[in-house]
Amino acid sequence: MALLLAVPLTHNGYIEIVFRNILMYATMAYGWNMIGGYTGYVSFGQVAFFGLGAYCSAVLSQFGVDNLLADVLVACAVNGGFAVLVGLPVLQLKGHYFAIATLGVALALTDIIANLDALGGTAGMRLRQVDEAHFSVYYYAMWIVALAAILATYFIARSKLGYAFVAIRENEDAAAVLGISPRRYKITAWAISAMMAGSAGAVFAPANGFLDPSIGFSVDSNVFPIVMALLGGIGTVAGPFIGAIILAGANELLQRYFIKIHTLFFGAMIVLVVLLLPRGLVWLFGLRGGVRTWLKSLTEYKA
Amino acid sequence: MQLLGQDLVNGILAGGILAVVALGFSLVWGIMNIINLAHGAYIMLGAYLTYQLFQTFHLDPFLSLPVSFAALFVLGYLVQRLLINWVARAPVLTTFLLTFGLSLLLVNVALLIWTGDTRGVTTSYSGANFSIVGITIPWAKLYTLLVALAITGVMHVWLTRTKTGRAIRATSMDIGAAQLSGVRTAQIYAIVYGLSAGLAGVAGTLISLSYALTPTMGDPFLIKAFVVCVLGGLGSVQGALIGGIVYGIVEAFATQIDVTIGTQHISGSGLQDAIALVVLLIVLIVRPTGIAGKATA
Amino acid sequence: MSAASVPAAPEVLLRISNVGMRFGGLWALSEVSFDVERGTVLGLIGPNGSGKTTLMNVVSGVYRPTTGEVTYRDRRIADVPTHDVCHLGIARTFQVVKPFASLTTRENVAVGAMYGRQGGKRSTRASFERAQELLELVGLGRVADRPASDLTTPDRKRLEVAKALALDPEVLLLDEVMAGLNATEVDEALQLLRDVNRRGVTLIVVEHLMKAIVSISTTIVVLAEGKKIAQGAPADVLAAPEVIEAYLGSRWRKRQEQLKEIEAQREEAARVQPPEAHG
Repeated sequence: MALLLAVPLTHNGYIEIVFRNILMYATMAYGWNMIGGYTGYVSFGQVAFFGLGAYCSAVLSQFGVDNLLADVLVACAVNGGFAVLVGLPVLQLKGHYFAIATLGVALALTDIIANLDALGGTAGMRLRQVDEAHFSVYYYAMWIVALAAILATYFIARSKLGYAFVAIRENEDAAAVLGISPRRYKITAWAISAMMAGSAGAVFAPANGFLDPSIGFSVDSNVFPIVMALLGGIGTVAGPFIGAIILAGANELLQRYFIKIHTLFFGAMIVLVVLLLPRGLVWLFGLRGGVRTWLKSLTEYKA
Repeated sequence: MQLLGQDLVNGILAGGILAVVALGFSLVWGIMNIINLAHGAYIMLGAYLTYQLFQTFHLDPFLSLPVSFAALFVLGYLVQRLLINWVARAPVLTTFLLTFGLSLLLVNVALLIWTGDTRGVTTSYSGANFSIVGITIPWAKLYTLLVALAITGVMHVWLTRTKTGRAIRATSMDIGAAQLSGVRTAQIYAIVYGLSAGLAGVAGTLISLSYALTPTMGDPFLIKAFVVCVLGGLGSVQGALIGGIVYGIVEAFATQIDVTIGTQHISGSGLQDAIALVVLLIVLIVRPTGIAGKATA
Repeated sequence: MSAASVPAAPEVLLRISNVGMRFGGLWALSEVSFDVERGTVLGLIGPNGSGKTTLMNVVSGVYRPTTGEVTYRDRRIADVPTHDVCHLGIARTFQVVKPFASLTTRENVAVGAMYGRQGGKRSTRASFERAQELLELVGLGRVADRPASDLTTPDRKRLEVAKALALDPEVLLLDEVMAGLNATEVDEALQLLRDVNRRGVTLIVVEHLMKAIVSISTTIVVLAEGKKIAQGAPADVLAAPEVIEAYLGSRWRKRQEQLKEIEAQREEAARVQPPEAHG
């Protein structure tokens, strides 16, 4: 992570963007990891928060506020509030229902924003950007956001809060009997994950200079973080980061050399990761018993 | 009044297709407890298959129904047997991502073969319609509805009367007991999934008559299928039919909303996904438990 | 008869008043009433299907009683949400034990220490220390770092007790905690429970093992077919005919009567005809 601080020094705009995206996806992966990995509520709608955060920045830009810190803070506040509001009904659902409901939230939000002329509708909005010379400020901002996400995950995982999340994942009813209010902690987890995704979006929008619903709420932004967390290891601190580097890197390479079929490859990769590495790389590396245990884990859920 | 009637009819006609879509989706969900995000892709493939047959062999779409079914059945069967079966009993994240990945694969293959240009199937009767009491009914859509009804009828009979059908229902009720009585689960799952894909293919064929074709055409149907299943109950043929038609009607009316607040113009047709979500949330909150009779793991 | 730490005027912690529970057309419990005094050990027995577990569920707030109420220090338990029940001071173990599988044994207990009645004041580290203490108490110290999914069934039961204790309860409900234990294990369990009771925790124990219940209870309540048929000191309750009949059934009573008949007839016969002398 520290190494990545050096990237802007290459003065290569393209590489900077690549790594900035890696940091962005990593942040979102950490966000997803909080609600999906630690708490066990698999959300397929995190992009809603990303987009919302992005649009916060866009709106602020319209009002002449182009301060990244303000962008992030406002995005956090808005996303936190939104998560609590939407979480109240949606977090009462479980499993499949929850997953689809979150997907629905993301789709619905996309629709709504696409229809709001005040936010540019489908044509999108432009944001004011800093000049060329200082462009790296966006990179550093994203770096800080990602660092915050990693640190937050690290500290939460070892704290009482983290245990509440895991308890809910393992056995929500038993957790309630032990004094954990499922509703309160689920919403907390979701709000945290929303703020992470929102912060990433808030920095992305001005960095990109342009925002429209298809960019703010893209399917990629929704699914990549999940696959990254899965690949690296859900419910771990290092997992999302590892997954982000590998997958975002792979995606960049594919886009460069195989642009026509890069999405195809990505689909294939998702299938492979799901079938071959269900517990993620962190698990794999910490594994005793080597190849045999791994092979056994592959048939764990066979019909 | 006439407008309302037209909406109602449109809704019913659209609902028929939705019922077929939801039926396949509901089967996989109800029996295998898997939410098949690739369902939309199968619909799309069925539509494109019909398109290609029409272009190359001038085969009338209605005649390509059995072809769609067969082709997609085989595809679905293979996909399940070779890929999905490995994680058939896995939690939601796994199966979601797997079927999502599949969907990406299939959509992109279609993109490569047919490019992203919008295509259509235009037959001699495509634009023809007739009117009753001032309500316009396109012939193509009417035939579609009739076919949809026929299919649901056939499926219902098949599931309740045939040996395989009963094996399927037994598996969904109690997998352990079914296995003990000699039912080969993996085989059943493969048949069910193939069936679901086949039905999606058929739906795709029907859709190709009235709607434009693009590689991502299946997506809107996914979330609607989900809502219809929740409305009508899992694994139930009648449920899919009723749910589909009800949803079709609700959507037909909702998309008519067209108001302007200040300078903000709100049109229902652009908010289809939002409508789906609202319906879904209302249903889930009003009857959250036991609505499908099948609790997910 | 009373346990060591009962104060001069026995304080009623838990009051079960006229509790009835209906499922569909069936009354699983009806008109059950008794008090639980601080510091005592209340044994709850009854034949299978008598409603013991249902009653436990009502007392711990899992079910809302159809009639009557359960009050804990004047608070109706039914009004308290699940996660707050332990904050009142009531904890329970479950028959079907499902620990947090991917956490270690210690972590399992620590969660209770973090979020139980005294949880608010405990830091993460203090919670783990408390968890270790409790694990030693129940005899799980050696497996503290193993994943809970690795534990044997008797160990899982101990874990259940440790988790419940981590909530710092005033009243602990134990639901068939000794099922499946061998004789030595039962003795160990009884010793543990006595220990816990001595430290001031009031116990309500549901068990099938007569000897165990008798040796540990200050009062026994007997349920049969959802009704309370006896309450009192162990010796008195077990000798009561209605209790025996509840367990052994009415056929036992008929058999007893038949036996008495046969005895009477034999005596009759003996009077009329002296028994033949045997050579």
